[in-house]
Amino acid sequence: MKDILTGKFVRLSAFDPEEMSKAWPRWYQNSEYFRMLFSSARPLHSPKAELKWMEEEVAEMSPANYSFAIRTLAEDKLIGELGLEVVDWSGREAFVGLGIGETEYWSKGYGTDIMNVLLRFAFTEVNLKRVSLGVFEYNPRAIRSYEKAGFRHEGRLRNLLRREGRRWDNLFMGILREEWLELNHN
Amino acid sequence: MKDLFRGELVRLTLVEPEVGAKASALWQRDSEFHRLLDNSPARLDSEKKIKEWFEKDAEKGFKPERYGFSVRTLAEDKYIGFLGLWVDLIHREAWVGLGIGEREFWSKGYGTDMMKLCQQYVFRELSLERLSLGLFEYNPRALRSYEKCGFRLEGRTRMDTMREGNRVDSLWMGILREEWLQLQEGDGK
Repeated sequence: MKDILTGKFVRLSAFDPEEMSKAWPRWYQNSEYFRMLFSSARPLHSPKAELKWMEEEVAEMSPANYSFAIRTLAEDKLIGELGLEVVDWSGREAFVGLGIGETEYWSKGYGTDIMNVLLRFAFTEVNLKRVSLGVFEYNPRAIRSYEKAGFRHEGRLRNLLRREGRRWDNLFMGILREEWLELNHN
Repeated sequence: MKDLFRGELVRLTLVEPEVGAKASALWQRDSEFHRLLDNSPARLDSEKKIKEWFEKDAEKGFKPERYGFSVRTLAEDKYIGFLGLWVDLIHREAWVGLGIGEREFWSKGYGTDMMKLCQQYVFRELSLERLSLGLFEYNPRALRSYEKCGFRLEGRTRMDTMREGNRVDSLWMGILREEWLQLQEGDGK
């Protein structure tokens, strides 16, 4: 049986606070990375502070929260992070957020590969009916990647964000279990 | 100058833990009300527990990102519902949630009046740029009310909610500051 956590270029691995608390301060020093992931104003934290926060968070792992580290298959290198949070058990819906902190792995298909692995995990392991995400208008690379993975556009909150002296839309997208099955039936 | 908290039918007032808890404990038993408000499974809590939540919330004091109001009718001074605002201070936008627990005040323009007060507060008092909300597709009454207030339908998350064994959509709406200002001119205000 195929390993469901392994894709073409990457695999999902355990979220290790020791390792991730060293990576985050470096990744988030890059404000472009941070802005693609969050709308909040995130202060920079030391590895020590990150570690404390993560140990508290990861200790709270539940069937509703899945955090992974993303590693390349070729070099076994940590390049990003991924979270899946079930927001509604009766609707069996979850939100996904992912980021590739190592910028030399941008625009090479890694993100799409990560999303494909994640969707397989969500639909075959957690048995969800729907996966949702939000993405900012100024991140067209991510939007294209999500379209490729099978997500459909479902809405656009106009002018939700203010960045760089203007306002931007927040887009949201979703994929249903049936749609994913149809795309992946072989 | 016009009273910010007083509409045509209702006024916005302070959160009242005692009265609010008594009313909420009753409203919780109305599962139709709950379904219009939330997608979580219906549940029942004691009046005492609800009062504690209200009080705990009040102890936190003023926070610029969170505003909660009780809603009372002007005619009878009756507590009929509530309205809450969650503000994103960085992006200058807010989300609103509201409910009328007393059924005899449904479908009579009270909700629209509440929303107009809320918009006035958001755009005139807090000077925000945008107001957003979400609702379920099985709530056409709310949809019409929000449309009347100038909200535009911006999205539909397909089948994200399970109700009565059916999968239903959530709808998302928003109104921008300029759109609201334009509507006020149209009203001759």
